[in-house]
Amino acid sequence: MAAPVNRPDCWKTPEIYTHHEQRKVCISRPKYRDGRKAKAVKVYTINLESRYLMVQGVPAIGVMTELVQRCALYGAIEEYRPLDEYPAEEFTEVYLVKFLKLTSARAAKRHLDEKSFYGGVLHVCYVPEYETVEDTRLKLQDRRRYVVRMCQNIAREREQTKEANEEDPMPPDPTPPDPTPPDPAPQSERPTTSTAEKPSAGDYAPDHSSAGHYFGFPSLPLPPREDSWYRRNTNQARPLEDRMGSLHDAITDTGPCETPGTSTRVQHKDTETRVTPTPASAARFVPRTTHLENRKRRLEEPRDPLLLSSSSDVVGENSPLIGPQLPEPPKLDMEDESLNTTVHQIRNTLKQVASVPENKPGKEKKTKPRRRI
Amino acid sequence: MSRKHSSDRADRFQYLQTLVTEFQDTDNDEAKEQVLANLANFSYDPKNMDDLRQLQVTDLFLDMLTEENQNFVEFGLGGLCNLSMDRECRDLILESGGIPLVTARLSSRREETVLSAITTLMNLTTAASRPQVTDAAVVQCMLRFSLSESPRLRNLAGVFLQDCCTERQVARAEQQMPGGQQTVLGIPLPADSAP
Repeated sequence: MAAPVNRPDCWKTPEIYTHHEQRKVCISRPKYRDGRKAKAVKVYTINLESRYLMVQGVPAIGVMTELVQRCALYGAIEEYRPLDEYPAEEFTEVYLVKFLKLTSARAAKRHLDEKSFYGGVLHVCYVPEYETVEDTRLKLQDRRRYVVRMCQNIAREREQTKEANEEDPMPPDPTPPDPTPPDPAPQSERPTTSTAEKPSAGDYAPDHSSAGHYFGFPSLPLPPREDSWYRRNTNQARPLEDRMGSLHDAITDTGPCETPGTSTRVQHKDTETRVTPTPASAARFVPRTTHLENRKRRLEEPRDPLLLSSSSDVVGENSPLIGPQLPEPPKLDMEDESLNTTVHQIRNTLKQVASVPENKPGKEKKTKPRRRI
Repeated sequence: MSRKHSSDRADRFQYLQTLVTEFQDTDNDEAKEQVLANLANFSYDPKNMDDLRQLQVTDLFLDMLTEENQNFVEFGLGGLCNLSMDRECRDLILESGGIPLVTARLSSRREETVLSAITTLMNLTTAASRPQVTDAAVVQCMLRFSLSESPRLRNLAGVFLQDCCTERQVARAEQQMPGGQQTVLGIPLPADSAP
């Protein structure tokens, strides 16, 4: 249960990174792209997200268990510990919570950030700096796999929709359309990505009576689906993203399908409402070929040795150094006379000392008792 | 219902197009930054990647990499980091000469920019592009990053070196590092100095 995070550097004072800080919210957005909640201008990438969350502002009244229980609502927790070394406001504590899954961490952050908790206000942020190299690798791999899978599903569904629409205007069909009851056979091989049309936020039940549709509906209860991104639906209080594209805040139902957005919507397109840029909007849209050409010209002009040396393993004399420059190690010139200055001085002094008793041969040396200070 | 869904999709495309247009039309840097950040965040959702690709937002982001405004660079590279997870976007970025534009940003002062650059480079690694991505200069840069005090930078560079480079490439780059690895000043070496 309570397992300390075993890391050799956990005794170091943690850095306060800029990504832990809350940024000021942006107040100057025009209305059409202003979200429901005031947000700062920030871009989320997979690098900023993590299974590790830091929770600040927890009142220091012994509510660690309650905090962990609250976090656990969003997914299984692997480890947690108080971050005593992190600077905290008076009478508050800071905790590190490591979730089993990134999606759980995402959900927890969304739900707990800026929320009150036992009289205090929590500030929750990702702390990817606590990851190991392996954690980071797995995180990137999972993310890549998820994106590839989602894009394939979306592409496949659009193909199927296109085929379905093409089949639609064919009344004399060898197999007569059977709107009701649904035919589950074609759907059985795709349990997770059903081609059936999902009801939108419970607005309407699965409509079997759409003319000419071959799509059946699974008899199983539908998996949790994402709401339309711009529709304000109070029944399901979890929009997937807002007008600022803040998908990173989207929560998921932490059921068997742990990746967000696994339920998909079929894009039933009527042939007359084909999604293409209308001529009116094309007039506003400036083609980017000029920019492309400019960039190509810019690329061609300075002959970057980096481009030329792609086949070689050796960094040429003239190739530009990539990345930050390290401070150069001190250059040591063994021929430099100054290296011997001290040696000469010592030798000279020794010579002088050695020559003193010869000048005064008569003096007797008295051994005085040494005074120890 | 089908019309509702298709209109949803059309609305979404329209909205994204409006954002792109605003970005291109406005002179106000603050508004540009906001819109750029929005587009970069929308790039995180696979659902939008197709639309953004059609709107040539990959080129828009690539254009940002040569801007003076460091926010433009950071947000643009964040968008590329997000979009390059998709194979088709990745191929578009490669076709538009993305690799040198991204590697140039490895010397940025901003950590987020550098992190996005490393991740984007990893995403852009294909069998064909690997020689360019794992150019000796880049590998040396990653070796230096793997000694950094920043854990995120260390981790990402570590993943790059382990996943994208061969052992031979890393060994060769180590040998060629100026001054060798052991005399690096100012960067605390971990107890186990092997990368």
